[in-house]
Amino acid sequence: MTYIDKPSISNVIKFDELNVAKVDQLKVMLNTGTDIYQGACKKRGSTLKDEYRKVAGVAYMDPKDMAKLGVGNWDSVLVKSDWGAVVVYSAHSRDAPHEGMIFIPKGPWANVIVSNETYCCSDPTYKGIEATVEKSDKEVLLMADLMKEVYQKYTKKVKEVD
Amino acid sequence: MGYEEPVTDYDKIVENCTCAFCGSNCDDLDCLVKDNHVVAVRHACRLGASKIMEDEDQRLKVPMMRNENGELVEVEWETALDAAAELIANSVRPLFYGWSETSIEAMKPGLELTELVGAVIDNQATICHGPTVQAVQNVGYPLMTLGEVKNRADMVVYTGSNPMNAHPRHLSRYTTFPKGWFRKRGRYDRTLVTWDPKYSDTAKLSDIWIPFEENGDYEFVNAIRAVLKGKKLKKDVIAGIPTEDIYELTEKMKNTQFGALFFGLGLTHTLSKQRNIDIAIQLVQDLNKYTKWVLLPMRGHFNVNGFNIFMSYEMGFPYGVDFCRGYPRYMIGETTTIDLLNRKEADVFLVIAADPGAHFPSGANMHLVDIPVIQIDIHWGPTTELADIVLPGTFIGVETAGTSYRMDSVPLNMKKAIDPPETCREDEWIVTELLNRVKKIKEASK
Repeated sequence: MTYIDKPSISNVIKFDELNVAKVDQLKVMLNTGTDIYQGACKKRGSTLKDEYRKVAGVAYMDPKDMAKLGVGNWDSVLVKSDWGAVVVYSAHSRDAPHEGMIFIPKGPWANVIVSNETYCCSDPTYKGIEATVEKSDKEVLLMADLMKEVYQKYTKKVKEVD
Repeated sequence: MGYEEPVTDYDKIVENCTCAFCGSNCDDLDCLVKDNHVVAVRHACRLGASKIMEDEDQRLKVPMMRNENGELVEVEWETALDAAAELIANSVRPLFYGWSETSIEAMKPGLELTELVGAVIDNQATICHGPTVQAVQNVGYPLMTLGEVKNRADMVVYTGSNPMNAHPRHLSRYTTFPKGWFRKRGRYDRTLVTWDPKYSDTAKLSDIWIPFEENGDYEFVNAIRAVLKGKKLKKDVIAGIPTEDIYELTEKMKNTQFGALFFGLGLTHTLSKQRNIDIAIQLVQDLNKYTKWVLLPMRGHFNVNGFNIFMSYEMGFPYGVDFCRGYPRYMIGETTTIDLLNRKEADVFLVIAADPGAHFPSGANMHLVDIPVIQIDIHWGPTTELADIVLPGTFIGVETAGTSYRMDSVPLNMKKAIDPPETCREDEWIVTELLNRVKKIKEASK
């Protein structure tokens, strides 16, 4: 096939880095945008599959930031901003170093935490959002489950019947 | 990824297909077809190939509607179209969003329908290059075609975009690598510059990488403009870049023969929005006092530019056009999709060839929970999870021929390579059917 299941990421995190102080919560700047793996998976249409979660439900972080939090590749992290909170995988960024910045490819996961404020310019603020990252033990949700949990469009009616 | 054997088992090759992915619209793809399926694509990038060799499992093949348990169930075309037409005809403030991944031919009945019901019509520019269009209205558009860049450019600047991820063949087909008439040695005759806070995949290929700080784009471009105008910079470091580097870069930009600036969503999605583009366009205008410079926005979808051109030609406004008063109105921040959803104004949402579930902030999408959503698309995506009526369309550029506009506003014909699934209908047919049905309902109620 012309694609791979998830981005190939080299594991370069050293947990015993000397100058890194461990923290529980990390203040970061969140950027979202496209990424070749996300684009290929989304437009092929494989959005219900585990593959989409692996390419869009992931926060690409600087290895030093990951060492500070004590997370490795494909561990769950909770990213919170003023607009919401979502559990995504953490992974080593191919564009490192960029300490204090995380990148989540656009998709249902990033949507939960980006700002819908357009400042009357039609365009929501998808980049440069203040957020915090912390370790999480929750599993990253698949697309359909995430949409159900976030929007609850058709689950509400079922609850009313009960 | 290991080595893959070339595909030799195919019935025919359909040559020179146009890719239906990004704004580069590469029109040299060869599709290898066997049993009415594309089994391989030649010349396409990873993105184009993945889209053309689609995921059959998630293809929408039959019209669907929600039953009383909230599950999507298969219905007849007649039922689904009637229900959708009923919703549109009885709505007060319908919003028709999408259009960027369909052909100009489908937009035509779409616009007629919009006028008939007094809806708002908008496309993906509203969440990507909308600020660019506003900036173009503010300060102008020093545009070129990509062929000029290929033949002439000796300096190519990418800012706020990462074409190696979003437009993978942009560098190799149009700007940096190809041999041009005046650039006989291709890549060796050109300087590739990236201005990006991140060491992106494009920056890794570049000769010069300017890592200005986050949200520092306006300040940085302003500094270059000051230097161009002969001013002396007073600070040592501007937007994270030492001033001597800014002087050096400005000198290089002045001394090129033909420069091209490409900018992407890194500029439009940060807080300064259209002001970033204003200043980038003004920089290009200033540079033209010394040498030839041009610029081009890196448009995302293959026909997002087409919608803007189509609407500007037909109605005088590029996107976010409101017909509720019977004549076209355009007011950024008022008649644009995200603002309409944020204010919870729309009461029916028709989405065609777009995926707001995947691309709108959830704060805006929350309104889609309260209103009926009609989806016309080819794959089961995040929006399908929010859709009440699903109408399966066909794949423009592979299953249906059509017209699209490349990012530099060159119209291209998109060929048909295979036949669509029997139960699917062309976008143009679906929109025309909706139009006819809404007309009937309106006439009956008179």
